[in-house]
Amino acid sequence: MIFWEIAKRNIRVHFLRSALAMLGIVIGVVAIVSMGILGNAMVAMVSETISSVGDSVVVYPYFGSTGMGGGSTANLKITDQQFQQIKRVVAPNVAIPVQSTSERMKIGVGGDDIIASVYGVDPQYIPDLHFELESGSNNNANSGCMVGSTFAKDNNIKVGSRISIGSDGSRGTLRVTGIIKQRGMSFDISTDNAVVVTQSWFENTYDRNDYDNVVVKVKQGQDSAALTSLIEKQMNKRDKVVMAMDSKVVLGAINDMVGQVTTFVVAIGGISMIVAGFSIFNIMMMSVSERIKEIGIMRSIGTQKKEVMSMFVYEAVIIGVIGSAIGGVMSLLGGYVINIYMFNSTNYLFTIPNAISIAEGVTFGIVVCLACGIYPAWKAANMNPIDALRHE
Amino acid sequence: MDDQPVMLFRDVVKVYPLPAGDVTALDGVSFQVDRGEFISVMGPSGSGKSTLLNLMGCLDMPTSGDISIGGIHINEMSDTELTSLRRDRIGFIFQYFNLFPLLNIIENVTFPLMLKTGKGVDPERGKEVLRAVQLDDKLFTHTPTELSGGQQQRVAVARALINNPDILLCDEPTGNLDSKTGAGIMDLMTDLNRKGTTIIMVTHDPHIAEYSQRTIRIADGRIVS
Repeated sequence: MIFWEIAKRNIRVHFLRSALAMLGIVIGVVAIVSMGILGNAMVAMVSETISSVGDSVVVYPYFGSTGMGGGSTANLKITDQQFQQIKRVVAPNVAIPVQSTSERMKIGVGGDDIIASVYGVDPQYIPDLHFELESGSNNNANSGCMVGSTFAKDNNIKVGSRISIGSDGSRGTLRVTGIIKQRGMSFDISTDNAVVVTQSWFENTYDRNDYDNVVVKVKQGQDSAALTSLIEKQMNKRDKVVMAMDSKVVLGAINDMVGQVTTFVVAIGGISMIVAGFSIFNIMMMSVSERIKEIGIMRSIGTQKKEVMSMFVYEAVIIGVIGSAIGGVMSLLGGYVINIYMFNSTNYLFTIPNAISIAEGVTFGIVVCLACGIYPAWKAANMNPIDALRHE
Repeated sequence: MDDQPVMLFRDVVKVYPLPAGDVTALDGVSFQVDRGEFISVMGPSGSGKSTLLNLMGCLDMPTSGDISIGGIHINEMSDTELTSLRRDRIGFIFQYFNLFPLLNIIENVTFPLMLKTGKGVDPERGKEVLRAVQLDDKLFTHTPTELSGGQQQRVAVARALINNPDILLCDEPTGNLDSKTGAGIMDLMTDLNRKGTTIIMVTHDPHIAEYSQRTIRIADGRIVS
């Protein structure tokens, strides 16, 4: 229709200012969408690393409120008796007692002392922890250990390497039997930068028979939240001795937090969209006031109000659609750059949440343009034709 | 329908309410224009000419009295109906041509037709009307600014004629042209009138008014002769 044509031509005639207004929308869309993509990538990464180990409930000794005069948390352990109780409570789910400490150690001959975490886990439970090995095999000997991939890479450790534990190897030497694949922020045991030894080596070396925490692996189909409250209820009958944490709840909390951060940064991006909206409003008002006489002529020779209005709405929509579409494409590029820089991969780029983010950003851009074009268009349509005709 | 007067004003009063007191622009105006007439409206500035023109063009409503165009009373009409009436029954010609700079000549001329049909440009009909106002074919795809004043006014006349209106309403059609070009436009108008078009022309130029068959003189909101 002719009004569409006029709207197009008016944008072409005022190319520079239309392009600048479009640029505003492009920036607005990019700001919103790339922040959304960033948030989506963070959520995806967090949930992938945490949920890869399956649902677990981790039971810690209760360390109370850490107020004035509070006891040292270092001495709080889960006793073997408590562990047996937990085991009974959570059956048929598997309860894995875990011991941990930090220790000085040395790799090879003449290396520097380094400090890393040491986990003591009974070999029978290793399969339940679902370690994926980069190389080597699970360790079930007291003279062996497994190490995390980051630890292995940083210290140039291969299967068969020897690690001297303690200052000057005072606690003995262990042979590496396997290297555990990167597990990221795993909820149960963070192995990436640690050494995993057998429970009996740990107990003999450190003269301990209590545990730092108990990892309960929740079987498929079991409710981890119910299990968590069951543990707390059964264990804390007389005194509060343990606390249980549900990986799902922690995951949910982390996702919530990431979600809130994402919402916040998207909202900041939204401000640029609002600013862009003002510039659209501005150029539409300009477009109307420059063409008051033209509007008067149109109205006097029989153009209906709604036709005048449509002409200006088209103008805003054209700017909005082109600007938002360019913004959508650019934010995909922006998302690509963010993903490459922050995560070194594009695994989190072509996902449904990102498609939704882009669709939302583009839609928002178009809606903002439309909303900012409506008042000027309405104003144009409702001008008194006589006054408009007389306007110079 | 055809024996109805093309335009009928009966006791038309137009009062503009102003804070300083009401201004009566038209004070009981009655006249009739029959089909095929060529009428000029003359009067000094402030006489109510513009008000009369706005009322004749259905751009404004009278305070009291009755106006009918081709037998249709406009008093109770909505804005949408009045707009359609202007589109279908009245052709406007302005002093400053008032073509649309974004459209080429064919598009300008067929604009009211597009409004009426809701369709795109009808180039055949456009060319037909443009030839009737003696515009060179070469100019059809140019933009208005590339044309001389006389040529632009011919395009404006063609635009006014495209929907076969009952009346051609002209507001100082030669006011912005030199006398030779203006005479050319007036010859065109006379020619159109001879072929049956009813023309009402507002002017303050007595030479131009001479082209018409009848002159309505107006002063202080009343018809004096």
